[in-house]
Amino acid sequence: MTDDTNRAGGHAAPAEGKAPIVQLRSVSKTYTRGEEAVHVLDGLDFDVEAGSFEALMGPSGSGKTTLLNLIAGLDRPTSGSVEVVGKRLDGLGEGALAKWRSSTIGFVFQSFNLLPVLTALENVELPLLLTHLGSAERKTRARTALRIVGLEDRVQHFPRQLSGGQEQRVAIARAIVNDPTILVADEPTGDLDRKSADDVLGLLETLNKELGKTVLMVTHDPAAAERAKIIRRLDKGRLAS
Amino acid sequence: MTLTSLAFRNFGRNRFRAFLTVAAVAVSIVAFLLLRTVVWAWASGAEWSAKDRIVTRHKVTFVIWLPKHYIDIVRQAPHIKTATWATWFGAKDPKREHEFFTSLAVDPATYFDVYNEVDVAPEALETWKHDRQGAIVGDALAKKLGWKVGDRITLKSGIFPGDWAFNIDAIYTARAKSVDRSTLLFSWTYLNESLRDRQRDMIGWMVSRVDDPAHVAEIGVALDKRFEDLDTPTLSQDEGTFNASFLAMFSAILGALDIISAVILGIMTLIVGNTIAMGVRERTQEFGVLRAIGFMPGHIAFWIVVEAMVMALVGGLVGVAVAFPFINYGVGRFIEENMGSMFPYFRLETANIVLALVVSALLGAVASGIPAMRASRTRVIDAVRRVA
Repeated sequence: MTDDTNRAGGHAAPAEGKAPIVQLRSVSKTYTRGEEAVHVLDGLDFDVEAGSFEALMGPSGSGKTTLLNLIAGLDRPTSGSVEVVGKRLDGLGEGALAKWRSSTIGFVFQSFNLLPVLTALENVELPLLLTHLGSAERKTRARTALRIVGLEDRVQHFPRQLSGGQEQRVAIARAIVNDPTILVADEPTGDLDRKSADDVLGLLETLNKELGKTVLMVTHDPAAAERAKIIRRLDKGRLAS
Repeated sequence: MTLTSLAFRNFGRNRFRAFLTVAAVAVSIVAFLLLRTVVWAWASGAEWSAKDRIVTRHKVTFVIWLPKHYIDIVRQAPHIKTATWATWFGAKDPKREHEFFTSLAVDPATYFDVYNEVDVAPEALETWKHDRQGAIVGDALAKKLGWKVGDRITLKSGIFPGDWAFNIDAIYTARAKSVDRSTLLFSWTYLNESLRDRQRDMIGWMVSRVDDPAHVAEIGVALDKRFEDLDTPTLSQDEGTFNASFLAMFSAILGALDIISAVILGIMTLIVGNTIAMGVRERTQEFGVLRAIGFMPGHIAFWIVVEAMVMALVGGLVGVAVAFPFINYGVGRFIEENMGSMFPYFRLETANIVLALVVSALLGAVASGIPAMRASRTRVIDAVRRVA
């Protein structure tokens, strides 16, 4: 299901009546490259409502990955406030931020980044090592996550024994095994063929619709963005539409 | 799966590189153990020395002889249970002149009363005591030169000219690690009778057993007092000090071996450090992802350090596995048979094995210090950006 109005133009604020799960206010981000200051985000206000599936598009250098990183607690704004799932992130220390990420955010990256020495099951189990769960419970949860992504028959396979699409599905299982509130996906289909990309996007849709996960996805691919409920476009650090 | 087991798994990630690094560490450890065994075997001669034995030699050097009647003075001194003497002969087998072994002209009647850590068959010993040209040899020397009881041999001396004929009357074995199993002993009388008049009735040094090992130093001083007003003053030392003073001549060599050991370990550390640094650089993105999903800088550093320690420890274990037969059954036996006077017992000791393994693991940790610090300090965003 898509929202035609949002997809046509893009909105900075969620629909009226729904509490935003992500709230960015006057957020600026400036990097220093040598002696040159690069303004990536410029006074951005940005809200995302709970249960949304949003695609961030824009040309290279427009700030979409930076925005995703700020929302995911991987980076800090130069100025402005970032509040995600009711937590102000811009004031959290490194340790608190890491703990918050592990319980709140699931990450899906373009190049999967599974550990080659671990099986699919162990890769999915990895984030649970940071919890107090016992070994048996960790394995049960990892198997459940792999079943959700349709890979229950590949639990003992190593990444080299899986196709690219399967690897990305294992990465998605790793992202959801902690039952995070938000999934952030940075070019999740960038390294996949069309068929595998469709499978992965279908999986993200399922997680959004059936498990209520909020999904934020950065993509250059219009076909991938079409699967989102909302498409936001950034240009030169501002929302273009 | 645990955090530690994950670190162990990473070790075999690039198998060829891990194999080369383990092999390099193993070679380093073999060289390290060989050098440590040289130093240990050399130094332990002093440690193994008998606590109740006093060696009395010329005050200047043991190369200068003492009058033979000194032995009677020593035997009459308080606290002396028994005493004997010996003279360095410097024998060489003319068929194998490059083979070095210790050869001493001794007093057959008393020598084994003083050196009672040597095993000789009683009948053979009696034969030797009554055979003017009789010789008794260590089992290692007999094996090396192919001698057996009943053989008639002719040797030359680097000190005493002429051909010296001996009958092999007995072969001794050792009950203690300190005993040189490559020595030839024969009757001092045979030597003395063959010398010109002015060389006769002189002995190299005297060795005594005392009844009070706790006061061996004072007993030695008292012995020397008896000779200080005579023409030939003496220096008496307990056997440990005597051996240590002999070793002191080689202290520069021992120091050099220690330095070489340190250099070898330094090279080993650099090899492990290089391997770990390459692996860490290749996995920066992976570390970024791990940090993103909640792992802390300490986790990253822990994995890298444990991985390096495992790699170095595996190399150390392989090195010990190679060094053990190499030293104990190869070079060790060769050294004991050919250089028994300096290295009567040349074997790989447990303490040196433990030292090698501990040093391997610790240097693995040291080698990974900088890569671990750099990886753990990399900002998540910088590491992840390589992925995005």
